[in-house]
Amino acid sequence: MVTTVLKLIARRLLVAIPILLIVSALLFCVLRMLPVDPAAMSLPPNATIEEVEAKRREMGLDKPLPQQYLIWISDALHGDFGRSIALRRDAGSLVAATLPATIQLAVCAMIIAAILGVGGGLLLFHVRGTLLEPVVDLVSVLLLSIPEFLWGLILLFVFGVALQVLPFTGEVSPGLPIPHVAGFLLLDSLLVGRLDVFLSACSHLILPAVALGLAFSPTIMRVLRSSLFDIYHEDYIAQARLRGLSESRILLRHALKNASLPTLTLAGVQFGILFGGTLLVEVIYSYPGMGNLMVDAVRNADLPLIQAIGLTYCVVVLIINTMVDSFYVVLNPKLRVR
Amino acid sequence: MSAVLRSLRSARVLIALGMIFCIACCAVFAGYLAPHDPGDQNLLAILTPPAWAEGGDPSYPLGTDSLGRCVLSRLIYGARTAMLVAVFASLGAMIIGSILAHVSGYFGGAIDWIIGRLVDVWMSFPPVILSLILMVGLGVGLGKVILAVVLVDWTRFCRVLRAEVLVVTRHDYVAAARLLGFTHWQTIVREVLPATLPLLITLLSLEMAIAVVVEAILSFVGLGVGADQPAWGQMIADARQYVYQSPWNLLLPILAIFLTVLAFNLLGDGLRRTLDVRLAETGR
Repeated sequence: MVTTVLKLIARRLLVAIPILLIVSALLFCVLRMLPVDPAAMSLPPNATIEEVEAKRREMGLDKPLPQQYLIWISDALHGDFGRSIALRRDAGSLVAATLPATIQLAVCAMIIAAILGVGGGLLLFHVRGTLLEPVVDLVSVLLLSIPEFLWGLILLFVFGVALQVLPFTGEVSPGLPIPHVAGFLLLDSLLVGRLDVFLSACSHLILPAVALGLAFSPTIMRVLRSSLFDIYHEDYIAQARLRGLSESRILLRHALKNASLPTLTLAGVQFGILFGGTLLVEVIYSYPGMGNLMVDAVRNADLPLIQAIGLTYCVVVLIINTMVDSFYVVLNPKLRVR
Repeated sequence: MSAVLRSLRSARVLIALGMIFCIACCAVFAGYLAPHDPGDQNLLAILTPPAWAEGGDPSYPLGTDSLGRCVLSRLIYGARTAMLVAVFASLGAMIIGSILAHVSGYFGGAIDWIIGRLVDVWMSFPPVILSLILMVGLGVGLGKVILAVVLVDWTRFCRVLRAEVLVVTRHDYVAAARLLGFTHWQTIVREVLPATLPLLITLLSLEMAIAVVVEAILSFVGLGVGADQPAWGQMIADARQYVYQSPWNLLLPILAIFLTVLAFNLLGDGLRRTLDVRLAETGR
């Protein structure tokens, strides 16, 4: 099984490399459509035309577009993403400093989405054929109509502003130190033994993570329900019933196990979208992650930083897809033999 | 076509169409319905609460924002922005996506492979990030927002429809059409397209919901239709800074977005049931 998984990962990586190259080229072209001059932007406003020209040559902007792209991609492969124009810092290190916070948020949100999604899916399936079905069904359409962006604002309003029970700006309460070990605040605060920082970080993470989780749970719910419906037509469910197993045992031990496969595939696709959704939630809660960095970069037309962050989002999505595919092989015995 | 008419008997579809009709009326007749010009500032009356609350002014039924602009008028004109994006962006995405899907699924082979890889490349970007990057390149404006949504979301149509076209193309009646001397073009338009139409219509209404959300998101971040055009996302971004002084300003545009998205989702859900479309739910 290990070799199958390794082969699959190798194959996925082979596909990922051309995808990354094309994506980076597209990214590069779209951002070159901008009517701004990075050279002029990185100099003080009183710079002379000669100085701007010299800077353009230094930054390689006088070369043809394909050559510029090759220079950028070969630098990027060496870990050099250029310098942010607005922040005057290395774009790669800016991304590296904010990526862990975003990953932490996305993982917590995915766990919440999975719990709510599986719970809700079982509930949706359980009420089938009863009077409650249309009600629960309508609620699921209602939930589907609230994107993460609105959940973020609604939760901020209810729990932050109206009830004032949870904090809604930043990563920890102001005044508390932010330890740096691995970059993941929840982990780091425990590693340095600061329980107060850990609890503060948790309370700051609740609203953004729940907002994202709530937005992505309805799709998981509905897919789980429809795969459960499919599975209940299979012979082995009828057979389990003939063997006298209780309904709850059939549902949890036989049906759920098999229904989890299509749900997992969907959760993988969802995780990619959810990872993009962190951007809005970060902006709403002023959470210091990659999304906030991206929005600032976009507002400042900070090309090197936008390119670095865009590429990072893409790499993360490709990694997630590869991981989901490997899980799929591990969990699905039918795929192991090939 | 009779299936589409039959779907009009479904309660969901009727309720949804009613809601969409109301929102569309706001959008079309915004000039007659709005009590004020949405851009008119009254700096003597900023952040007034709705008329029913204490200190409310009856001439501003839903209060004013931080620049003293009428919230009700901005909501009504915001509906125009949202509906324009919903209709044109989803139609654009549908046209590109479904043409590529039909070509891909019908002809197969190398064309199918190329279009498939193109979709893969597109899908390796989270949609929010891709639309933001496109807006950076395109610049702000209503047309730019529509173009960005089309360029991001054609893959939704392409991926789902291609699978359907693949199934339909294998039917005997498609082969029969070819034997009768139909050209490929005639076969696709007269034999394949009618069979994929229910799925197409369902996807279209779901895409309208997505387009409304994307427009709100882009306006919220400040990369949407531009500052001179009222948009719900902009109203939210503005109200967020004054949430303690006037919570209504935040809640009303949220409600407007929610109701619009709900209407399109309800329509999509109702159509999916009545047209008996089996939709692989892969979400937004």
